[in-house]
Amino acid sequence: MTINPDNVVYWQWGMLHLNATIVFTWLVMALLTGVSWLVTRRLSTGTRISHWQNLLEVLVIGMRDQINEVSRQEPGRYLPFVGTLFLFIATANLLNIVPGYTAPTGSLSTTTALAICVFVAVPIYGIAHEGPLDYLKHYVKPTALMLPFNIIGEISRTIALAVRLYGNIMSGTVIVAILLSLTPYLFPVVMQLLGLLTGMIQAYIFAVLAMVYIASATSAHGGRETDRNPPATSTD
Amino acid sequence: MAIDWITVSAQIVNFLILVWLLKRFLYQPVIRAMERRERRIADRLEDAEIRERSAEEKAHDHQQKIDELERMRDGLVADAKLEAEHEKRHMLDEARDEAAEARKNWQRQTNQEKQEFLKNLQKQAADTIQVIAKKTLADLANAELEEQMVHSFIHQLKSLDDEEFRRALRQSSTPVNIVSAFELPAPTRARLTRAIHEHLVEGIEVEYDQSPDLLCGIELNAEGRRLGWNLDDYLDRLSGRVEEVLSPARATG
Repeated sequence: MTINPDNVVYWQWGMLHLNATIVFTWLVMALLTGVSWLVTRRLSTGTRISHWQNLLEVLVIGMRDQINEVSRQEPGRYLPFVGTLFLFIATANLLNIVPGYTAPTGSLSTTTALAICVFVAVPIYGIAHEGPLDYLKHYVKPTALMLPFNIIGEISRTIALAVRLYGNIMSGTVIVAILLSLTPYLFPVVMQLLGLLTGMIQAYIFAVLAMVYIASATSAHGGRETDRNPPATSTD
Repeated sequence: MAIDWITVSAQIVNFLILVWLLKRFLYQPVIRAMERRERRIADRLEDAEIRERSAEEKAHDHQQKIDELERMRDGLVADAKLEAEHEKRHMLDEARDEAAEARKNWQRQTNQEKQEFLKNLQKQAADTIQVIAKKTLADLANAELEEQMVHSFIHQLKSLDDEEFRRALRQSSTPVNIVSAFELPAPTRARLTRAIHEHLVEGIEVEYDQSPDLLCGIELNAEGRRLGWNLDDYLDRLSGRVEEVLSPARATG
């Protein structure tokens, strides 16, 4: 039984190898992009719109509202990054019900990659919003003594972000695999349903946490934004 | 807990590509479509507001026009009433005038008829009186009425004391004209000529004429003057009395 999709290698050429993580990531990417392209090819600006366009609009509006609610800022700049995080993770997790599919989010490499993206995006958004000096001053607040702790906090929360998603998805897959060998037929199906729910929740948590981190870096009163963050500890 | 760093870097690249793809194919088109729709709806609302405002203005204008027309109508009705009243009064006046004219015509006609009647009466009365007088005179005095008339005329000539008239006759060269209603016999003419010569002017020429217009009488015409006797005086008195009798009939007409 393979737990890590990184280890399933389809093609290898020297150092480069094409494993299941990358292949299924491409699959998810193709699915998302293909559906978006098909639907947005013919967008209606009138009062009558297609069901698919309606779905996409509901998704986009919902994500914008969520971003606005968390950051108290104009959501336009954050939507592509945070929205893509949510859509990618959610789609990758939901496809778990397809036989033969292995979620790329179950690989620590994928979650690490996403966490690194967030880790880099936070200072980029912060500097773009406040300028480099003002952004760096965040690290010596309230006193210069807090500098190491701030840096440690920054790194640790990135690691937590990666491990939380990986652990949840990987454990779901592992649990289903173990239960399948112990009590087949009905119980694994229930667990799989639970896994869908968990996957959606994790996608939401990952995206919201990313937004919270970015908001704390861009907002003048960043501390208050991070205080409003109870799910960070409760869902681990 | 193995991290394959090559996979990590590949996933980072994959993720960044996905961000770009979704931005290009999902977020931008959808948001643009929604914004366009919102703008269209806003435009429509604005358009509707403009139309509503213009409709309200039009309604206001129409109301004003209706009010104006009503005012005009009231004015016209009042004018028409006034004119009708005026016309009515005018027609009544005309009718009254016509009635007055008709009454006047009728009165004139009645008067004319009365005059005619009186004239007839006069003539008939004269005839009757003449006949009665003739008969009476003939019966009573055994003398002819004409003779009596001539006698009375000669008496008038005798009693005439108009010297001026005599002088005028004396100077004039035209003959004296005697007109009578009846044929005068030759002896009577001779007597009349003699009386004129005796009482008016010596040797003046005398002519004799007969005229039925002269009602039972005898008359002398000379130098624009008339002298004579006839039944006119009596008849005039008679017609005056008849007129008096008829006047109540006129009053009731």
